[in-house]
Amino acid sequence: MANLKDIKRKISSVKGTQKTTRAMKLVSSAKLKRAEEVAKRSKVYSVKLTELLNEIAQKISQGNEEGIDNVFFKENKNPKNVDVVFVTSDKGLCGGFNSQTIKRASQVMESFGSDVKVRLSGVGKKGIAFFKYNQVEMLNQIDDLSSKPNYERSTELISSLVEDYVNGKTDKIILIHNGYVNMIMQKIHEQQLLPVDTSKLEITKSVAMSELEIEPDDDDTLLDALVKKYIDYTMYYALLDSLAAEHSARMQAMDAATNNAGDMVKSLQVKYNKARQEAITTELIEIISGMESLK
Amino acid sequence: MELMKLEIVTPEGVIFDDEIKQVTVPGGEGEFGVLAGHAAIVSLLASGVITIERKDGREVQVAINGGYIKVEEEKTLCMVDGAVALSGEDTNLAKNIALAKDLLEKAQASTLTVAAAVSKFDNIKK
Repeated sequence: MANLKDIKRKISSVKGTQKTTRAMKLVSSAKLKRAEEVAKRSKVYSVKLTELLNEIAQKISQGNEEGIDNVFFKENKNPKNVDVVFVTSDKGLCGGFNSQTIKRASQVMESFGSDVKVRLSGVGKKGIAFFKYNQVEMLNQIDDLSSKPNYERSTELISSLVEDYVNGKTDKIILIHNGYVNMIMQKIHEQQLLPVDTSKLEITKSVAMSELEIEPDDDDTLLDALVKKYIDYTMYYALLDSLAAEHSARMQAMDAATNNAGDMVKSLQVKYNKARQEAITTELIEIISGMESLK
Repeated sequence: MELMKLEIVTPEGVIFDDEIKQVTVPGGEGEFGVLAGHAAIVSLLASGVITIERKDGREVQVAINGGYIKVEEEKTLCMVDGAVALSGEDTNLAKNIALAKDLLEKAQASTLTVAAAVSKFDNIKK
């Protein structure tokens, strides 16, 4: 008989969990819509900025054969100091969202030989907690930014790294984040922020290009400003993209959790029915055998 | 008069996308105007005011805090960090002017730029 009560209690507890996960799913889907909208609007700017950078880079590289003579474009073949920046979420309960990013970040760090010094900068509590637990030293630990992307704060982080790069303290900056693809898909992005990867710049041949005038005349002033802006914005966009991906991942995880809870309730209900039937049968046998003995 | 396409994009999205007659922008090396058929140019933009003459002749002012402009023969693209649009028929013009002034002041524009911008705003009211 006690068994019956136990099962009943279990059912109601699972049902309670189901309610929570369902609510969390709804919250995430509402938040996702907003985050997706913001990311979509910002995408226009990001696309145009990349386009503009491509054109300027091409224009400047047309003049000289050895490529672009600018600190932001010069590839150091043997990097000695590398900055790795990763973006994770501040909150958990979103499936493999964070562990994927963490895995990739660890892989990237290991891919450099032992003679390369890697500095790690983290955004988001979850990733920071992981690397802290594994006693990996971190240069920057930034909380509460990935859940509330903020242009100023993201610029603050990245410009300090860019400054080190310009001063020759680092040779490379890599950014890793988990990006949004659609409602059920996220994809890990690994970008080389600096030096700007010229091999990836698309070559668009337009007639107007050769006649493009640049003001101020000094190529470097414009290019420097443009590259800095490009990096600031790529960082900010990574945060927005990551937030949208986080919500979609959480939605998925919570949906799965709700379904699993439903399955569990079902199997518990069957168990409960069986136990009840058993109890009834035993009672009946007791009554009948009692009557038999009275005869 | 020939028309050209103007697009103003901020990190928050596209704020202006239409055919226009003329646009005057605060270039890094001084203010310049762009008409249809202008030579291709890429320039830095200082903080200041973009003045747009729309196809119906009405004027729109947009306060910006710096960015880039890319002019092609048929199309002009402004990429700015922040912008506040002001036009004569706006109902809460006064509020927007205050916003625009705030934007310019935050961008550490020289007092001269702010003063020049404010006088432009005053013209809208009339």
